[in-house]
Amino acid sequence: MPRALSRGVVVLLAALLALFIIGPLLWLAMRAFAASWTYPDLLPDAWTFRWWSVVFSDRALGVAVQNSLFFAPITVLVSAVICLPAAYAFARFEFPGRRFFLIGVFAANSFPKMGLFVSLAALFYALNLMNTILGILVVHVLGTVVFMTWIPAAAFAAVPRSLEEAARDAGASKLRTFFSVTLPMALPGILVAAIMSFLSSFDEAQGTYLVGAPDYMTMPTQMYSLVLNYPTQVAAVFSILLAIPSVALLLAAHKHIVGGHLAEGFQIK
Amino acid sequence: MTAEVEARPAVVVRPAAPAAAGQTRGLLMALPPMVLIAFFIGFPVVLAFGFSLGFTGGLNRTVALIGQNVHTAHGIVPTLSAYAEMFTNARFLGDLVVTVVVTVVSTTVVILLAVGIGLYLKFSGGLIGKLLSALAVIPLFIPVVIASWAILGFYSANGFLRSVAANLGLGFPVWSYTLVTVVIGSVWTSLPFATLLVTSGLQAVPQAMIDAARDAGASFWRVVGSVVVPMAGVPIIIATTFTAIGILGSFTVPYFTGPNSPNMLGVDMSNYFSAFNQPQQAVVIAFIVFAIASGIAAVYVWANFRSAKESGAV
Repeated sequence: MPRALSRGVVVLLAALLALFIIGPLLWLAMRAFAASWTYPDLLPDAWTFRWWSVVFSDRALGVAVQNSLFFAPITVLVSAVICLPAAYAFARFEFPGRRFFLIGVFAANSFPKMGLFVSLAALFYALNLMNTILGILVVHVLGTVVFMTWIPAAAFAAVPRSLEEAARDAGASKLRTFFSVTLPMALPGILVAAIMSFLSSFDEAQGTYLVGAPDYMTMPTQMYSLVLNYPTQVAAVFSILLAIPSVALLLAAHKHIVGGHLAEGFQIK
Repeated sequence: MTAEVEARPAVVVRPAAPAAAGQTRGLLMALPPMVLIAFFIGFPVVLAFGFSLGFTGGLNRTVALIGQNVHTAHGIVPTLSAYAEMFTNARFLGDLVVTVVVTVVSTTVVILLAVGIGLYLKFSGGLIGKLLSALAVIPLFIPVVIASWAILGFYSANGFLRSVAANLGLGFPVWSYTLVTVVIGSVWTSLPFATLLVTSGLQAVPQAMIDAARDAGASFWRVVGSVVVPMAGVPIIIATTFTAIGILGSFTVPYFTGPNSPNMLGVDMSNYFSAFNQPQQAVVIAFIVFAIASGIAAVYVWANFRSAKESGAV
């Protein structure tokens, strides 16, 4: 193929991919500012900020935002406390059941989520976890275990032992070695795990709805009722709000995520 | 960006020197997430499996009392009648076929796109390469609920594609609430993860190998087919299995963008549980989906062991 032609084909394919990925998002975002829209015009008839004031003056929606911003950071914290020591153990110790545990995390992840929540219902009724904050936290943390163990485990494993040994030879204690050599080097991987966990909690809708509705509505669960009960534009505004934290995280950690930490984590060793 | 991915050697985990102490400490440190999974996933799943086989006592009592159309086992002999009911239900069988077809089609498209983007980055890079990989990662950061809803609007009767076509005086089909949008939505949401895994796998193929093949006179496609893709085989298999398992059990995308019937089994599970109040049937569907997912998972585990063997860890 002539060079110019093949380059043209590539540019065309890239444009199609851009349309495929970004098109729906832009199309939705425009709705948030549309007074009305006549088919088949490609732009709204008139622009307005009215829908934003509708969202900001609706108390139920405000509570959903608060709930989401409450659950996501707590989930990351709880998940880190539970999973990070395990991640270190997977990377640095050989212990009975190690491989079984690693595969167990994977098997737990491959059970269909909806089926899991349906199964959990019986247990949650028995333990009085239905409609409780603790119940929702359990559901959210369960969704993060695979990220919080696998990705940091790969990050810890990638820290060269020779560096740790050098620090030990220089007289540093085990704890000091961990905090001034191992942890800083594994930090980008842990950061990626934290972001994936945050997004997973922020995104979780089915389980939260089953366990928390209608007492505890988060932004994604509120989205379900928004789509059915409000004008299209209100849901569009809410979508933009819901996407803000994620996009901020994307910009902050883009380099680390694309840099292979995520990919590293998904190979059991 | 992705070009910065280094060709890292596979990390081989070796036990630390004092083996016995490390064993106990490692086990203790690894326990908390395992206990969490065992208690909140393993235990309920075993209970639910019992329920699906007709055991309605113990912790299953409440759910069996609330639910309708519950099949009960006689004594300790399990009954398969709940499974038999589903497998003679024409609507379920149709949805099973739809689920498998959507999974296979979407996974194929996702992997082809991911490999295409990865190969372009590996061989050409440049601005377009960076743009492609950046584009492919965007969906990772958009909550699935929003994505489904945005896609529904984009392909709807008054959506973008129909508007453009109408302005040009052409007709265009309505894809909203059809299986086409389910496939589109599944591809959209699964693309970032697969692209990250595949791209990083392709980047790790040593340039020297490619140069050697080129020097020996191999064409571009020969290099891709006989050197690059086989060497990145394990990451590609891992990406494929994860994508397939994710789509197989998906709920939000088919629920929002798909037709009422036939639709995917994730939606059926929710319907049987909430709308029809038949929890046993919901659980039966979950185990049928899990059985298919286990088949795919076996491939994943096999690929990992193969890679561990190659790197000398086993």
